[in-house]
Amino acid sequence: MGMRDLVDELSAKRTRIRKMGGEEAVLRQHAAGKLTVRERLDLLFDPGTFAEIGIHATHAGIAPDLAGRETPADGVVAGFGRIDGRLASVIAYDFTVMAGSMGRTAEIKCNRAREVAYTKRVPMIWLIDSAGARIQEAIGSKSFAGSGLLFREESIMSGVVPQVAAMMGPGAAGTAYIPALADFVPMVRGTSNMALGGPPLVKAVVGEDITAEELGGSKVHCEVSGCGDLEVEDDRACIRAVKDYLAYFPANNTERPPGAPCDDPADRREEALLTLVPDSPRRAYDVKKVVRAVVDHGVFFELKPAWAKNVVVGLARLAGAPVGIVANQPMVLGGALDVDAADKAARFIMLCDAFGIPLVFLQDVPGFMVGSKVERAGIIRHGAKMLYAVSEATVPKLTVVLRKAYGAGYFVMCGRGYEPDLIVAWPTAEISVMGPEGGTNIVFRREIAAAADPDAERARRVEEFRKLINPYMAAGAALIDDVIDPRETRGVLIRGLEMARTKTLLRPWKKHGVMPV
Amino acid sequence: MPEEIKAHITGVVFEIAATPGARVAAGDPVIVLESMKMEIPVEAPRDGAVKEILVREGQTVQEGDVVALLE
Repeated sequence: MGMRDLVDELSAKRTRIRKMGGEEAVLRQHAAGKLTVRERLDLLFDPGTFAEIGIHATHAGIAPDLAGRETPADGVVAGFGRIDGRLASVIAYDFTVMAGSMGRTAEIKCNRAREVAYTKRVPMIWLIDSAGARIQEAIGSKSFAGSGLLFREESIMSGVVPQVAAMMGPGAAGTAYIPALADFVPMVRGTSNMALGGPPLVKAVVGEDITAEELGGSKVHCEVSGCGDLEVEDDRACIRAVKDYLAYFPANNTERPPGAPCDDPADRREEALLTLVPDSPRRAYDVKKVVRAVVDHGVFFELKPAWAKNVVVGLARLAGAPVGIVANQPMVLGGALDVDAADKAARFIMLCDAFGIPLVFLQDVPGFMVGSKVERAGIIRHGAKMLYAVSEATVPKLTVVLRKAYGAGYFVMCGRGYEPDLIVAWPTAEISVMGPEGGTNIVFRREIAAAADPDAERARRVEEFRKLINPYMAAGAALIDDVIDPRETRGVLIRGLEMARTKTLLRPWKKHGVMPV
Repeated sequence: MPEEIKAHITGVVFEIAATPGARVAAGDPVIVLESMKMEIPVEAPRDGAVKEILVREGQTVQEGDVVALLE
Protein backbone atom coordinates (compact mmCIF):
# COMPACT_ATOMS: atom_id res chain seq x y z
CA MET A 1 0.00 0.00 0.00
CA GLY A 2 1.19 3.50 -0.77
CA MET A 3 1.15 6.34 1.73
CA ARG A 4 -2.18 7.63 0.42
CA ASP A 5 -3.82 4.25 1.09
CA LEU A 6 -2.16 4.05 4.47
CA VAL A 7 -3.46 7.43 5.58
CA ASP A 8 -6.91 6.52 4.27
CA GLU A 9 -6.72 3.43 6.45
CA LEU A 10 -5.64 5.57 9.42
CA SER A 11 -8.48 7.98 8.83
CA ALA A 12 -11.00 5.12 8.65
CA LYS A 13 -9.68 3.71 11.92
CA ARG A 14 -10.02 7.07 13.67
CA THR A 15 -13.53 7.53 12.37
CA ARG A 16 -14.53 4.08 13.63
CA ILE A 17 -12.98 4.62 17.07
CA ARG A 18 -14.61 8.02 17.46
CA LYS A 19 -17.97 6.27 17.18
CA MET A 20 -17.13 4.90 20.63
CA GLY A 21 -19.23 1.91 21.72
CA GLY A 22 -21.47 2.14 18.66
CA GLU A 23 -24.76 3.71 17.72
CA GLU A 24 -26.88 1.76 20.18
CA ALA A 25 -24.63 2.42 23.14
CA VAL A 26 -24.50 6.14 22.30
CA LEU A 27 -28.32 6.21 22.14
CA ARG A 28 -28.45 4.60 25.57
CA GLN A 29 -25.95 7.14 26.92
CA HIS A 30 -28.09 10.02 25.63
CA ALA A 31 -31.31 8.39 26.86
CA ALA A 32 -29.78 8.30 30.34
CA GLY A 33 -29.44 12.10 30.13
CA LYS A 34 -25.68 11.96 29.64
CA LEU A 35 -23.44 13.35 26.92
CA THR A 36 -20.88 11.05 25.33
CA VAL A 37 -17.28 11.33 26.40
CA ARG A 38 -16.34 13.09 23.14
CA GLU A 39 -19.19 15.61 23.47
CA ARG A 40 -17.97 16.36 26.98
CA LEU A 41 -14.42 16.98 25.79
CA ASP A 42 -15.71 19.30 23.05
CA LEU A 43 -17.30 21.40 25.80
CA LEU A 44 -14.26 21.26 28.07
CA PHE A 45 -11.50 22.34 25.70
CA ASP A 46 -11.12 25.42 23.54
CA PRO A 47 -12.09 24.49 19.94
CA GLY A 48 -9.37 22.66 18.05
CA THR A 49 -6.96 22.37 20.98
CA PHE A 50 -7.57 18.81 22.17
CA ALA A 51 -4.81 16.35 21.29
CA GLU A 52 -5.70 12.74 21.99
CA ILE A 53 -3.30 10.18 23.38
CA GLY A 54 -3.77 6.46 22.76
CA ILE A 55 -6.78 6.56 20.46
CA HIS A 56 -5.78 3.20 18.94
CA ALA A 57 -5.64 1.42 22.26
CA THR A 58 -7.75 -1.68 22.68
CA HIS A 59 -8.14 -4.36 25.33
CA ALA A 60 -5.13 -6.35 26.45
CA GLY A 61 -6.21 -9.59 24.78
CA ILE A 62 -6.03 -11.62 27.95
CA ALA A 63 -9.71 -12.07 28.70
CA PRO A 64 -11.24 -14.97 26.70
CA ASP A 65 -14.66 -13.32 26.47
CA LEU A 66 -13.14 -10.28 24.75
CA ALA A 67 -11.45 -12.32 22.01
CA GLY A 68 -12.24 -10.94 18.55
CA ARG A 69 -13.92 -7.82 19.98
CA GLU A 70 -12.65 -4.28 19.81
CA THR A 71 -12.88 -1.86 22.71
CA PRO A 72 -12.55 1.59 21.06
CA ALA A 73 -9.85 3.67 22.81
CA ASP A 74 -10.18 0.92 25.44
CA GLY A 75 -13.02 2.74 27.15
CA VAL A 76 -11.19 5.89 28.12
CA VAL A 77 -10.27 9.03 26.18
CA ALA A 78 -7.02 10.64 27.29
CA GLY A 79 -5.08 13.65 26.12
CA PHE A 80 -4.43 17.31 26.61
CA GLY A 81 -5.80 20.63 25.41
CA ARG A 82 -6.44 24.22 26.38
CA ILE A 83 -9.13 25.54 28.70
CA ASP A 84 -9.57 29.30 28.36
CA GLY A 85 -6.14 29.27 26.75
CA ARG A 86 -4.39 27.28 29.49
CA LEU A 87 -3.09 23.74 29.16
CA ALA A 88 -4.64 20.83 31.08
CA SER A 89 -4.53 17.05 30.87
CA VAL A 90 -7.61 14.83 30.88
CA ILE A 91 -8.71 11.27 31.50
CA ALA A 92 -12.34 10.79 30.47
CA TYR A 93 -14.02 7.42 30.88
CA ASP A 94 -16.33 6.23 28.10
CA PHE A 95 -19.37 4.41 29.48
CA THR A 96 -20.39 3.27 25.99
CA VAL A 97 -17.36 0.97 25.87
CA MET A 98 -17.61 -1.83 28.43
CA ALA A 99 -19.26 0.55 30.89
CA GLY A 100 -16.10 2.64 31.02
CA SER A 101 -14.39 -0.11 32.98
CA MET A 102 -10.70 0.38 33.75
CA GLY A 103 -8.92 -2.08 31.48
CA ARG A 104 -5.25 -2.91 31.48
CA THR A 105 -4.46 -0.96 28.30
CA ALA A 106 -6.69 1.89 29.45
CA GLU A 107 -4.55 2.17 32.56
CA ILE A 108 -1.39 2.55 30.46
CA LYS A 109 -3.08 5.43 28.65
CA CYS A 110 -4.11 6.98 31.95
CA ASN A 111 -0.55 6.74 33.24
CA ARG A 112 0.54 8.63 30.15
CA ALA A 113 -2.03 11.40 30.64
CA ARG A 114 -1.06 11.78 34.31
CA GLU A 115 2.55 12.04 33.18
CA VAL A 116 1.55 15.05 31.04
CA ALA A 117 0.01 16.76 34.05
CA TYR A 118 2.63 15.77 36.58
CA THR A 119 5.86 16.34 34.69
CA LYS A 120 4.64 19.40 32.80
CA ARG A 121 2.94 20.77 35.95
CA VAL A 122 -0.52 21.44 34.54
CA PRO A 123 -3.97 20.61 35.97
CA MET A 124 -5.22 17.01 35.87
CA ILE A 125 -8.90 16.48 35.14
CA TRP A 126 -10.87 13.23 35.34
CA LEU A 127 -14.36 12.90 33.88
CA ILE A 128 -15.63 9.80 35.63
CA ASP A 129 -18.32 7.57 34.13
CA SER A 130 -17.06 4.11 34.87
CA ALA A 131 -18.12 0.82 36.39
CA GLY A 132 -14.70 0.49 38.05
CA ALA A 133 -12.02 -2.11 37.42
CA ARG A 134 -12.51 -4.38 34.39
CA ILE A 135 -12.60 -7.55 36.40
CA GLN A 136 -11.88 -9.84 33.41
CA GLU A 137 -8.49 -8.16 33.04
CA ALA A 138 -7.74 -7.45 36.69
CA ILE A 139 -8.41 -10.91 38.04
CA GLY A 140 -5.50 -12.91 39.40
CA SER A 141 -2.56 -11.73 41.49
CA LYS A 142 -0.28 -11.54 38.44
CA SER A 143 -2.38 -8.67 37.19
CA PHE A 144 -3.57 -7.07 40.44
CA ALA A 145 -0.39 -7.13 42.54
CA GLY A 146 1.24 -4.45 40.40
CA SER A 147 -1.75 -2.12 40.16
CA GLY A 148 -2.93 0.86 42.19
CA LEU A 149 -0.09 3.29 41.50
CA LEU A 150 -2.56 5.89 40.25
CA PHE A 151 -3.60 6.72 43.82
CA ARG A 152 -0.02 7.08 44.97
CA GLU A 153 0.73 9.44 42.10
CA GLU A 154 -2.43 11.42 42.73
CA SER A 155 -1.49 11.76 46.42
CA ILE A 156 2.05 12.87 45.63
CA MET A 157 0.84 15.48 43.14
CA SER A 158 -1.79 16.82 45.51
CA GLY A 159 -0.99 20.48 46.07
CA VAL A 160 1.45 20.53 43.14
CA VAL A 161 -1.12 20.75 40.33
CA PRO A 162 -4.87 21.29 40.64
CA GLN A 163 -6.72 17.96 40.42
CA VAL A 164 -10.40 17.81 39.52
CA ALA A 165 -12.59 14.71 39.36
CA ALA A 166 -16.00 15.36 37.83
CA MET A 167 -18.55 12.66 38.56
CA MET A 168 -20.64 12.30 35.38
CA GLY A 169 -21.81 8.73 35.84
CA PRO A 170 -20.94 5.91 38.18
CA GLY A 171 -17.60 5.70 39.93
CA ALA A 172 -17.25 2.44 41.79
CA ALA A 173 -14.40 1.12 43.89
CA GLY A 174 -11.20 2.11 42.04
CA THR A 175 -12.87 5.07 40.34
CA ALA A 176 -14.22 6.31 43.69
CA TYR A 177 -10.76 6.86 45.17
CA ILE A 178 -9.86 9.19 42.30
CA PRO A 179 -12.39 11.82 43.49
CA ALA A 180 -11.48 11.07 47.10
CA LEU A 181 -7.96 12.38 46.44
CA ALA A 182 -8.95 15.18 44.05
CA ASP A 183 -9.31 18.84 45.09
CA PHE A 184 -12.68 19.46 43.49
CA VAL A 185 -15.51 16.98 42.87
CA PRO A 186 -18.66 18.23 41.12
CA MET A 187 -21.42 15.60 40.82
CA VAL A 188 -24.21 15.52 38.23
CA ARG A 189 -27.62 15.15 39.86
CA GLY A 190 -29.42 11.91 39.01
CA THR A 191 -26.74 10.26 36.88
CA SER A 192 -23.60 10.25 39.01
CA ASN A 193 -22.80 8.16 42.03
CA MET A 194 -19.75 6.87 43.82
CA ALA A 195 -19.15 4.15 46.37
CA LEU A 196 -16.27 1.95 47.40
CA GLY A 197 -18.57 -1.02 46.83
CA GLY A 198 -21.48 -0.79 44.38
CA PRO A 199 -24.98 -2.17 45.14
CA PRO A 200 -24.30 -5.78 43.97
CA LEU A 201 -21.18 -6.03 46.15
CA VAL A 202 -23.01 -4.42 49.09
CA LYS A 203 -25.83 -6.96 48.71
CA ALA A 204 -23.39 -9.88 48.54
CA VAL A 205 -21.12 -8.80 51.40
CA VAL A 206 -23.33 -7.08 53.97
CA GLY A 207 -26.79 -8.09 52.73
CA GLU A 208 -28.07 -4.54 52.31
CA ASP A 209 -30.54 -3.85 49.47
CA ILE A 210 -29.90 -0.36 48.15
CA THR A 211 -29.84 1.53 44.85
CA ALA A 212 -26.72 3.23 43.54
CA GLU A 213 -28.45 6.61 43.99
CA GLU A 214 -29.34 5.96 47.65
CA LEU A 215 -25.92 4.49 48.30
CA GLY A 216 -23.78 7.21 46.76
CA GLY A 217 -25.77 9.65 44.64
CA SER A 218 -25.02 13.35 44.41
CA LYS A 219 -27.41 14.20 47.24
CA VAL A 220 -25.75 11.72 49.61
CA HIS A 221 -22.26 13.02 48.91
CA CYS A 222 -23.02 16.73 48.58
CA GLU A 223 -25.36 16.95 51.60
CA VAL A 224 -24.43 14.11 53.97
CA SER A 225 -20.96 12.62 53.50
CA GLY A 226 -19.12 15.74 52.32
CA CYS A 227 -17.29 13.73 49.63
CA GLY A 228 -18.81 15.83 46.82
CA ASP A 229 -18.19 19.57 46.40
CA LEU A 230 -21.06 20.70 44.20
CA GLU A 231 -24.28 19.18 42.89
CA VAL A 232 -24.82 20.24 39.26
CA GLU A 233 -27.91 19.91 37.06
CA ASP A 234 -26.47 18.14 34.03
CA ASP A 235 -23.30 17.39 32.06
CA ARG A 236 -23.10 20.88 30.59
CA ALA A 237 -23.34 22.52 34.02
CA CYS A 238 -20.71 20.08 35.26
CA ILE A 239 -18.16 21.00 32.58
CA ARG A 240 -18.98 24.68 33.18
CA ALA A 241 -18.24 24.20 36.89
CA VAL A 242 -14.89 22.55 36.15
CA LYS A 243 -13.86 25.48 33.95
CA ASP A 244 -15.12 28.10 36.42
CA TYR A 245 -13.24 26.39 39.26
CA LEU A 246 -9.96 26.14 37.37
CA ALA A 247 -10.12 29.83 36.40
CA TYR A 248 -9.18 30.66 40.03
CA PHE A 249 -6.12 28.40 40.06
CA PRO A 250 -2.59 28.66 38.75
CA ALA A 251 -1.35 25.79 36.57
CA ASN A 252 0.80 24.62 39.48
CA ASN A 253 2.03 25.61 42.92
CA THR A 254 5.02 27.61 41.64
CA GLU A 255 2.87 30.07 39.70
CA ARG A 256 0.66 32.87 40.97
CA PRO A 257 -3.12 32.47 40.72
CA PRO A 258 -4.36 34.11 37.53
CA GLY A 259 -5.60 37.68 37.83
CA ALA A 260 -8.49 38.94 35.75
CA PRO A 261 -9.42 42.39 34.50
CA CYS A 262 -11.84 44.04 36.92
CA ASP A 263 -14.09 47.06 36.42
CA ASP A 264 -15.77 46.78 39.83
CA PRO A 265 -14.35 49.83 41.71
CA ALA A 266 -11.93 48.90 44.50
CA ASP A 267 -13.40 51.55 46.80
CA ARG A 268 -17.04 50.63 46.13
CA ARG A 269 -19.06 51.29 49.31
CA GLU A 270 -21.89 48.93 50.03
CA GLU A 271 -24.74 50.66 51.86
CA ALA A 272 -26.56 47.37 52.51
CA LEU A 273 -23.82 46.33 54.93
CA LEU A 274 -24.89 49.07 57.32
CA THR A 275 -28.15 47.34 58.21
CA LEU A 276 -27.37 43.68 57.61
CA VAL A 277 -26.33 42.66 61.12
CA PRO A 278 -29.38 42.64 63.43
CA ASP A 279 -29.25 44.77 66.58
CA SER A 280 -29.80 41.69 68.74
CA PRO A 281 -26.60 39.65 68.98
CA ARG A 282 -28.81 36.57 69.25
CA ARG A 283 -30.35 37.06 65.80
CA ALA A 284 -29.12 35.41 62.63
CA TYR A 285 -28.44 36.92 59.19
CA ASP A 286 -27.10 35.50 55.95
CA VAL A 287 -23.33 35.95 55.79
CA LYS A 288 -23.36 35.16 52.06
CA LYS A 289 -24.88 38.61 51.61
CA VAL A 290 -21.68 40.07 53.08
CA VAL A 291 -19.55 37.92 50.78
CA ARG A 292 -21.48 38.92 47.65
CA ALA A 293 -21.51 42.59 48.63
CA VAL A 294 -17.74 42.67 49.03
CA VAL A 295 -16.28 40.54 46.19
CA ASP A 296 -15.94 41.59 42.54
CA HIS A 297 -19.35 41.82 40.87
CA GLY A 298 -20.90 39.66 43.61
CA VAL A 299 -19.55 36.50 41.97
CA PHE A 300 -18.91 33.77 44.55
CA PHE A 301 -18.03 30.18 43.60
CA GLU A 302 -19.14 28.34 46.71
CA LEU A 303 -17.80 24.89 47.52
CA LYS A 304 -19.78 22.30 49.49
CA PRO A 305 -22.77 24.70 49.71
CA ALA A 306 -25.15 22.01 50.97
CA TRP A 307 -22.89 20.34 53.54
CA ALA A 308 -21.77 21.75 56.91
CA LYS A 309 -23.65 24.94 56.05
CA ASN A 310 -22.65 26.58 59.35
CA VAL A 311 -19.42 27.56 57.63
CA VAL A 312 -19.31 29.02 54.12
CA VAL A 313 -16.24 28.48 51.92
CA GLY A 314 -15.59 29.37 48.31
CA LEU A 315 -13.63 31.25 45.70
CA ALA A 316 -14.08 34.81 44.52
CA ARG A 317 -12.01 37.76 43.30
CA LEU A 318 -11.02 41.07 44.83
CA ALA A 319 -9.80 43.65 42.32
CA GLY A 320 -9.36 40.74 39.92
CA ALA A 321 -7.18 38.60 42.20
CA PRO A 322 -8.48 35.20 43.33
CA VAL A 323 -9.22 34.82 47.06
CA GLY A 324 -10.62 32.04 49.22
CA ILE A 325 -13.42 33.09 51.56
CA VAL A 326 -14.04 31.39 54.90
CA ALA A 327 -17.13 32.77 56.66
CA ASN A 328 -19.21 31.67 59.63
CA GLN A 329 -22.90 31.37 58.79
CA PRO A 330 -25.15 32.57 61.66
CA MET A 331 -28.18 31.22 59.75
CA VAL A 332 -27.17 27.63 60.45
CA LEU A 333 -26.53 26.38 64.00
CA GLY A 334 -26.00 30.03 64.89
CA GLY A 335 -22.65 29.79 63.12
CA ALA A 336 -21.25 27.47 65.80
CA LEU A 337 -18.52 25.20 64.46
CA ASP A 338 -19.02 21.45 64.61
CA VAL A 339 -17.12 18.41 63.37
CA ASP A 340 -18.09 18.71 59.71
CA ALA A 341 -17.68 22.50 59.58
CA ALA A 342 -14.14 22.24 60.97
CA ASP A 343 -13.34 19.53 58.45
CA LYS A 344 -14.76 21.56 55.56
CA ALA A 345 -12.95 24.77 56.51
CA ALA A 346 -9.61 23.05 57.25
CA ARG A 347 -9.58 21.33 53.88
CA PHE A 348 -10.45 24.55 52.07
CA ILE A 349 -7.72 26.50 53.87
CA MET A 350 -5.18 23.83 52.84
CA LEU A 351 -6.42 23.99 49.25
CA CYS A 352 -5.96 27.76 49.03
CA ASP A 353 -2.61 27.69 50.82
CA ALA A 354 -1.30 25.00 48.47
CA PHE A 355 -1.97 27.15 45.41
CA GLY A 356 -1.06 30.57 46.78
CA ILE A 357 -4.63 31.85 46.99
CA PRO A 358 -5.00 34.48 49.76
CA LEU A 359 -7.59 33.81 52.45
CA VAL A 360 -10.28 36.15 53.74
CA PHE A 361 -11.93 35.22 57.04
CA LEU A 362 -15.31 36.71 57.96
CA GLN A 363 -15.90 36.01 61.63
CA ASP A 364 -19.21 35.71 63.41
CA VAL A 365 -18.76 32.63 65.53
CA PRO A 366 -20.22 31.82 68.94
CA GLY A 367 -17.53 29.15 69.33
CA PHE A 368 -17.31 25.42 68.84
CA MET A 369 -20.37 23.33 69.60
CA VAL A 370 -20.32 21.79 73.04
CA GLY A 371 -22.13 18.76 74.44
CA SER A 372 -21.78 15.00 74.59
CA LYS A 373 -22.77 14.46 70.99
CA VAL A 374 -19.94 16.52 69.50
CA GLU A 375 -17.39 15.34 72.08
CA ARG A 376 -18.12 11.73 71.16
CA ALA A 377 -17.77 12.64 67.51
CA GLY A 378 -14.26 13.95 68.28
CA ILE A 379 -14.78 17.71 68.09
CA ILE A 380 -11.40 18.20 69.80
CA ARG A 381 -9.63 16.31 67.04
CA HIS A 382 -11.67 17.89 64.24
CA GLY A 383 -11.43 21.39 65.67
CA ALA A 384 -7.67 20.88 65.81
CA LYS A 385 -7.62 20.33 62.04
CA MET A 386 -8.74 23.88 61.57
CA LEU A 387 -6.20 25.25 64.07
CA TYR A 388 -3.56 23.28 62.22
CA ALA A 389 -4.59 24.38 58.73
CA VAL A 390 -4.84 28.08 59.60
CA SER A 391 -1.49 27.92 61.44
CA GLU A 392 0.28 26.23 58.53
CA ALA A 393 -1.11 28.60 55.91
CA THR A 394 1.51 31.11 54.72
CA VAL A 395 -0.61 32.81 52.05
CA PRO A 396 -1.86 36.35 52.77
CA LYS A 397 -4.58 36.14 55.43
CA LEU A 398 -7.09 38.92 56.11
CA THR A 399 -9.60 38.81 58.94
CA VAL A 400 -12.76 40.84 59.44
CA VAL A 401 -14.60 40.36 62.73
CA LEU A 402 -18.24 41.08 61.86
CA ARG A 403 -19.75 40.29 65.21
CA LYS A 404 -18.96 37.39 67.52
CA ALA A 405 -15.43 36.11 67.87
CA TYR A 406 -15.79 33.80 70.84
CA GLY A 407 -13.33 31.33 72.25
CA ALA A 408 -11.41 29.02 69.96
CA GLY A 409 -13.75 30.14 67.18
CA TYR A 410 -11.72 33.37 67.11
CA PHE A 411 -8.48 31.41 66.82
CA VAL A 412 -9.47 29.06 64.00
CA MET A 413 -10.99 31.95 62.04
CA CYS A 414 -7.55 33.57 61.97
CA GLY A 415 -7.52 35.67 65.10
CA ARG A 416 -4.52 37.84 65.91
CA GLY A 417 -2.41 34.88 67.07
CA TYR A 418 -2.64 33.21 63.64
CA GLU A 419 -0.65 35.72 61.59
CA PRO A 420 -3.35 37.69 59.81
CA ASP A 421 -1.70 40.33 57.62
CA LEU A 422 -4.60 42.58 58.50
CA ILE A 423 -7.26 42.10 61.17
CA VAL A 424 -10.10 44.59 61.42
CA ALA A 425 -13.48 44.66 63.14
CA TRP A 426 -16.91 46.07 62.46
CA PRO A 427 -18.25 48.22 65.34
CA THR A 428 -20.52 45.28 66.26
CA ALA A 429 -17.55 43.01 67.03
CA GLU A 430 -17.25 41.13 70.31
CA ILE A 431 -13.87 39.45 70.75
CA SER A 432 -14.03 37.37 73.89
CA VAL A 433 -13.10 34.10 75.51
CA MET A 434 -16.86 33.50 75.69
CA GLY A 435 -20.14 35.35 75.29
CA PRO A 436 -21.27 37.87 77.93
CA GLU A 437 -24.03 35.60 79.30
CA GLY A 438 -21.82 32.55 79.69
CA GLY A 439 -18.91 34.57 81.02
CA THR A 440 -21.02 36.40 83.58
CA ASN A 441 -22.53 33.18 84.91
CA ILE A 442 -19.08 31.76 85.55
CA VAL A 443 -17.17 34.83 86.78
CA PHE A 444 -19.93 36.35 88.94
CA ARG A 445 -21.67 33.15 90.05
CA ARG A 446 -21.37 33.98 93.75
CA GLU A 447 -22.34 37.65 93.40
CA ILE A 448 -25.40 36.75 91.35
CA ALA A 449 -26.50 34.09 93.83
CA ALA A 450 -26.03 36.46 96.79
CA ALA A 451 -27.91 39.37 95.23
CA ALA A 452 -31.39 40.31 96.42
CA ASP A 453 -32.58 40.17 92.80
CA PRO A 454 -30.32 37.64 91.02
CA ASP A 455 -31.86 38.24 87.57
CA ALA A 456 -31.34 41.99 87.77
CA GLU A 457 -27.81 41.46 89.05
CA ARG A 458 -27.07 39.05 86.20
CA ALA A 459 -28.41 41.53 83.62
CA ARG A 460 -26.30 44.32 85.12
CA ARG A 461 -23.17 42.15 85.07
CA VAL A 462 -23.85 41.07 81.46
CA GLU A 463 -23.98 44.70 80.36
CA GLU A 464 -20.72 45.40 82.20
CA PHE A 465 -19.15 42.35 80.58
CA ARG A 466 -20.28 43.55 77.16
CA LYS A 467 -18.40 46.82 77.63
CA LEU A 468 -15.18 44.85 78.13
CA ILE A 469 -15.48 43.08 74.77
CA ASN A 470 -16.42 45.89 72.39
CA PRO A 471 -13.95 46.30 69.52
CA TYR A 472 -12.36 49.44 70.94
CA MET A 473 -10.96 47.35 73.80
CA ALA A 474 -8.97 45.16 71.38
CA ALA A 475 -8.20 48.15 69.13
CA GLY A 476 -7.15 50.19 72.16
CA ALA A 477 -4.62 47.51 73.03
CA ALA A 478 -3.45 47.54 69.37
CA LEU A 479 -4.45 43.87 69.07
CA ILE A 480 -6.59 44.52 66.05
CA ASP A 481 -5.49 46.90 63.32
CA ASP A 482 -8.63 48.99 62.99
CA VAL A 483 -12.36 49.31 63.56
CA ILE A 484 -14.01 49.91 60.18
CA ASP A 485 -17.29 51.12 58.76
CA PRO A 486 -18.91 47.97 57.30
CA ARG A 487 -19.56 49.86 54.07
CA GLU A 488 -15.78 50.22 53.56
CA THR A 489 -15.05 46.49 53.87
CA ARG A 490 -14.27 45.91 50.19
CA GLY A 491 -11.76 48.74 49.98
CA VAL A 492 -10.08 47.70 53.22
CA LEU A 493 -9.68 44.11 52.00
CA ILE A 494 -8.32 45.14 48.60
CA ARG A 495 -5.73 47.46 50.15
CA GLY A 496 -4.79 44.67 52.59
CA LEU A 497 -4.34 42.18 49.77
CA GLU A 498 -2.14 44.58 47.83
CA MET A 499 -0.02 45.15 50.94
CA ALA A 500 0.31 41.41 51.63
CA ARG A 501 1.18 40.42 48.07
CA THR A 502 4.88 40.08 48.82
CA LYS A 503 4.35 38.22 52.11
CA THR A 504 7.28 35.96 52.92
CA LEU A 505 7.17 33.50 55.79
CA LEU A 506 9.79 30.82 56.12
CA ARG A 507 8.80 27.95 58.37
CA PRO A 508 11.35 25.66 60.04
CA TRP A 509 12.31 22.69 57.91
CA LYS A 510 10.37 19.51 58.58
CA LYS A 511 9.52 16.44 56.58
CA HIS A 512 5.89 17.12 57.37
CA GLY A 513 3.83 17.77 60.45
CA VAL A 514 1.53 15.30 62.15
CA MET A 515 -1.81 16.57 61.06
CA PRO A 516 -4.67 15.85 63.48
CA VAL A 517 -6.81 14.07 60.84
CA MET B 1 -48.25 10.76 55.47
CA PRO B 2 -47.18 13.86 57.43
CA GLU B 3 -43.50 14.73 57.33
CA GLU B 4 -41.58 14.93 60.60
CA ILE B 5 -39.62 18.13 61.23
CA LYS B 6 -36.63 17.42 63.44
CA ALA B 7 -34.44 19.64 65.57
CA HIS B 8 -30.96 19.84 64.02
CA ILE B 9 -29.33 21.05 67.24
CA THR B 10 -29.79 20.45 70.95
CA GLY B 11 -31.38 23.47 72.64
CA VAL B 12 -34.35 25.07 74.35
CA VAL B 13 -37.54 26.00 72.50
CA PHE B 14 -37.44 29.80 72.42
CA GLU B 15 -40.47 30.50 70.28
CA ILE B 16 -43.22 28.67 68.42
CA ALA B 17 -43.18 30.47 65.09
CA ALA B 18 -46.05 28.72 63.27
CA THR B 19 -49.45 27.58 64.52
CA PRO B 20 -51.15 24.29 63.59
CA GLY B 21 -52.98 24.68 60.31
CA ALA B 22 -50.76 27.55 59.13
CA ARG B 23 -49.36 27.39 55.60
CA VAL B 24 -45.58 27.57 55.49
CA ALA B 25 -43.15 27.83 52.58
CA ALA B 26 -39.89 25.88 52.40
CA GLY B 27 -37.39 27.70 54.61
CA ASP B 28 -39.98 29.36 56.87
CA PRO B 29 -39.27 28.96 60.58
CA VAL B 30 -41.65 26.56 62.34
CA ILE B 31 -40.09 26.89 65.77
CA VAL B 32 -37.06 28.81 67.02
CA LEU B 33 -34.55 27.11 69.31
CA GLU B 34 -32.12 28.80 71.61
CA SER B 35 -28.71 27.18 71.57
CA MET B 36 -25.15 28.48 71.78
CA LYS B 37 -26.75 31.79 72.92
CA MET B 38 -28.28 32.15 69.47
CA GLU B 39 -31.83 32.00 68.19
CA ILE B 40 -31.75 29.22 65.67
CA PRO B 41 -34.81 28.63 63.47
CA VAL B 42 -35.98 25.11 62.65
CA GLU B 43 -37.29 25.52 59.13
CA ALA B 44 -39.97 23.81 57.06
CA PRO B 45 -38.18 21.47 54.63
CA ARG B 46 -40.85 22.12 51.95
CA ASP B 47 -44.09 24.03 51.35
CA GLY B 48 -47.05 22.69 53.30
CA ALA B 49 -49.41 23.13 56.24
CA VAL B 50 -48.31 22.65 59.83
CA LYS B 51 -50.26 19.65 61.19
CA GLU B 52 -49.02 19.66 64.73
CA ILE B 53 -46.46 21.36 66.99
CA LEU B 54 -45.04 18.75 69.36
CA VAL B 55 -43.06 20.97 71.72
CA ARG B 56 -43.78 23.93 73.97
CA GLU B 57 -41.76 27.04 74.76
CA GLY B 58 -39.04 26.47 77.32
CA GLN B 59 -38.78 22.75 76.61
CA THR B 60 -35.35 21.23 76.02
CA VAL B 61 -35.05 19.21 72.81
CA GLN B 62 -32.25 16.96 71.65
CA GLU B 63 -30.81 16.98 68.16
CA GLY B 64 -32.99 14.64 66.07
CA ASP B 65 -36.14 15.05 68.17
CA VAL B 66 -39.34 15.54 66.17
CA VAL B 67 -40.63 19.04 66.95
CA ALA B 68 -43.51 19.36 64.47
CA LEU B 69 -45.42 17.56 61.75
CA LEU B 70 -45.93 18.98 58.29
CA GLU B 71 -48.99 18.01 56.22
